[in-house]
Amino acid sequence: MSDPTVAQDLIHGGDEPTGAVTVTSTGRPRSLWRDTWDILRHRKIFWVSLVMLIAFLLMAAFPSLFTHKDPNYATLAHSMEPPSSDALFGYDLQGRDVFARTIYGARASIIVGVAATLLTVLLGGITGVLAAFYARWLDAIISRVGEIFLGVPYVLGGIIILGTIAPAQTSPNEFTIMAVVILVLAILGWPILMRIARSAVIQAKHQDYVQAARALGAGPFRIIFKHLLPNSLAPILVYSTITIGSYIGAEATFSLLGIGLRPPVISWGIAIADHTRYIRTGAHAMFFPAAFLSLCVLTFVMLGEAVRDALDPKLR
Amino acid sequence: MVEVLSEPVGGGSYEGSLLEVDDLHVEFRTRAGVAKAVNGVTYSVGAGETLAVLGESGSGKSVTAQTIMGILDMPPGKITGGEIRFRGVDLLKLPEDQRRKIRGEGISMVFQDALSALNPVFPVGWQIAEMFRVHRGASRSDAKKKAIELMDRVRIPAAKDRVNDFPHQFSGGMRQRIMIAMAIALDPEILIADEPTTALDVTVQAQIMGLLADLQRERNMGLILITHDLGVVADVADKIAVMYGGRIVENAPVHDLYRSPAHPYSKGLLESIPRVDMKGQELYAIKGLPPNLLEMPSGCAFHPRCPYRRDNCVTDVPPLYPISGTRGSACHYWREVLDDGSR
Amino acid sequence: MGRYTIRRLLQLIPVLLGTTFLINYMVWQLPGDPFAGRCGQRPCPDAYVNAMRAQFGLDQPVLVQYWNFLKNMLTGNLGVDFNQVPVATSLADAWPITIRLAILAVAIEAVIGIGAGVLSGLKRGGVIDNAVTLSTLVLLSLPVFVTGFLLQWLLGVQLQIVNPTVSDEATVSELLVPAFVLASLNMAFTARLTRTSIVENLRADYVRTAIAKGLTNRRVVGVHLLRNSLIPVLTFLGTEVGGLMAGAIITEGIFNIHGIGGLLYRAIINQDFTIVVPVAALLVLVYLITNLLVDLLYGVLDPRIRYE
Repeated sequence: MSDPTVAQDLIHGGDEPTGAVTVTSTGRPRSLWRDTWDILRHRKIFWVSLVMLIAFLLMAAFPSLFTHKDPNYATLAHSMEPPSSDALFGYDLQGRDVFARTIYGARASIIVGVAATLLTVLLGGITGVLAAFYARWLDAIISRVGEIFLGVPYVLGGIIILGTIAPAQTSPNEFTIMAVVILVLAILGWPILMRIARSAVIQAKHQDYVQAARALGAGPFRIIFKHLLPNSLAPILVYSTITIGSYIGAEATFSLLGIGLRPPVISWGIAIADHTRYIRTGAHAMFFPAAFLSLCVLTFVMLGEAVRDALDPKLR
Repeated sequence: MVEVLSEPVGGGSYEGSLLEVDDLHVEFRTRAGVAKAVNGVTYSVGAGETLAVLGESGSGKSVTAQTIMGILDMPPGKITGGEIRFRGVDLLKLPEDQRRKIRGEGISMVFQDALSALNPVFPVGWQIAEMFRVHRGASRSDAKKKAIELMDRVRIPAAKDRVNDFPHQFSGGMRQRIMIAMAIALDPEILIADEPTTALDVTVQAQIMGLLADLQRERNMGLILITHDLGVVADVADKIAVMYGGRIVENAPVHDLYRSPAHPYSKGLLESIPRVDMKGQELYAIKGLPPNLLEMPSGCAFHPRCPYRRDNCVTDVPPLYPISGTRGSACHYWREVLDDGSR
Repeated sequence: MGRYTIRRLLQLIPVLLGTTFLINYMVWQLPGDPFAGRCGQRPCPDAYVNAMRAQFGLDQPVLVQYWNFLKNMLTGNLGVDFNQVPVATSLADAWPITIRLAILAVAIEAVIGIGAGVLSGLKRGGVIDNAVTLSTLVLLSLPVFVTGFLLQWLLGVQLQIVNPTVSDEATVSELLVPAFVLASLNMAFTARLTRTSIVENLRADYVRTAIAKGLTNRRVVGVHLLRNSLIPVLTFLGTEVGGLMAGAIITEGIFNIHGIGGLLYRAIINQDFTIVVPVAALLVLVYLITNLLVDLLYGVLDPRIRYE
């Protein structure tokens, strides 16, 4: 999945463009979470995705646990050698170990996916809650700006921004390269989250207990943090889990086009991009990173769906 | 009706009533357990006769009706015994394609909530006309003409102009009229009306009941009127079957039951109707809650709520004791109840 | 409905202005000097840079530049690219190919997606349902380019059933595999949406009424159930047409198709902004208009929707 706008449809059927996400048992968030856990515990898909998630997180944090080889050590003599007992996944064009590079590639992808999602949640969540809470002109402005950003198809927007910024950077370091991609992903993605947060809060705002809190003289920040945020948490959690997956896919897509992550960063997308022209002779150098990339996206999509099903049983 | 009349499913003559439900058993198998929704229900309706089936929700009255129509959700529903004879033929043994022909042609049904029972995306006229097009192979224009006639018949004003309107553009009462028009389109011999007026305003309720009674007389239909409201029944019904916990607890000609109920539950129902001459007195209410279908009380299902309860009520299931040729009561102490009269 | 359409068209204007301004600004202003890197390894001579800046109006204030862009777009003047080739010519060559690809992709989405969704929704928990659920999960997790390379490798290189790349003519049969790749993600989602919708509608009272009317099973499902269940599905398919064209950038790149996506991609790599801006603006316009059309279509499909 390389287009996060589709993930939005995944969470609520996609029949209403601005449809509100249903929040079950809004009155008692604690029991909602307990119910959710009870359902999750009995779902195989949840445990499978959890195990996969832990594996990928370990890979990202401690790649040396999985391989003792140096991902950057190149021996051109081995260039494009197929998998063997010596190198499990074979060697790439530069004669580097594909297994090592695939393991080390997890870090960049997961960092970009998670950081971009966090930033998106932050941007979208804050604007959405503000728009819903203060309504009127602030809502109008935020909603219009969101419409403008959503008016550009996701992949197109990414290509335009990254395509114009990326070449302009002169010898960037790893941090800058990743930061730019993270920023761009979040900038393009925030309006969807803004809409989710906004409709969740608008729904909650009209609940009696929020009205009661207001009538009792609770200040706006207290209401937002104590009552409205916990309510919008469920749909945001589901969306952002799936979004991590689609951001990882999107990052790889941009990297493939040469405008996302670039060397010296090691990433699955770059590994695939390096070998697209050698699909006849050295498919293995593309295949293994692509498989890991897809499994990683799958992990987050499955996890998100498991959580969504548990939070909203009527969708099953 | 063409098919059914020219080639009656039973082969001509039959004894007994037009429709007979005989010792029907239906249960629902859910994750929480087996719910016995219908436990040996027996009733019958003849041509031109109106049977009112009375009971609170969960009494099995609607499930029985759905089983007659063949629209029960299976699973979770399962028919575990009994027969439903239409013109002497057991519908439950018929193959699906013959069964289908009886729906709409022989037996028809009006549902409680017309707004959700009508298809939201087709014009009402189209939905009525569909009966003629599918069952009779009528042309589009003929079918539409007949749909307008039917809409006129059920007293929808300006039927001709409204034939292309959609269900949501009508008021609740008008929608129910459309539902009725659709149900009587093919002149069925039996019409089942499942709480036809529950979702409507009181004034509209009377109009719809009047319409149903008129149509029934006009077409000599057998009418099964399912309701939880005893007040609705008195003017239209010939006989009443009172259901409780999936059983018939009393059946009687309507006036006999009104005059002197023979089962404590019917008596309780009658006494909880507000009456003008009882002004100022406390209104009676049956104590306790309807039975849980997953855990039916032992013996008589009504015993936990019954003021006439004795020890054997807890252990022995009362059979339907015959009181006269047309009456029966499933109460061990029906004589006592009958003697007490109603208030 | 007429008034609603007009209002929606009017609302489209600020969004369109906003997006095109954003595109203009990002493309022309963000990279610094767009002409600096155009002379190979050496910096460009000032005379060249200045001439180009003047030709493309970069010496003027941002808003004036944008105003000129708007004026040109509205008069149908798409200008020339850095190599002095009219952009309109390049577009005319590329446009039909992308349209063909997109139509094929939508057809694949609709036929396979709806078919699989209906089958799995009608028999919930059955073999087909489980197979569909699993395969859609996999498709949803495969980035489009992975599906693309996989099929290219499998069908083109290993089995040699199709050519790994598409020729300049881009015939329909050549475009089938790329269209499938382009469609894959939306197809999976269409299947899931259809399934959910069928399952929801199966429980609806009007389905029970249809059975009680004595209709055949086929008619209950084929007319009553489908007519209702497909409303959200068709809306989704329509909304995604515009996104599909933009998404074609990747698919066209993998299979070397000379469509809009390929044109845009090459222009980005060559930093030829005179192509990027009008093409991107066009794609946005298509995207927004299809969205509007879908909203109007929704009202036609579902009589309960009223536009005010």
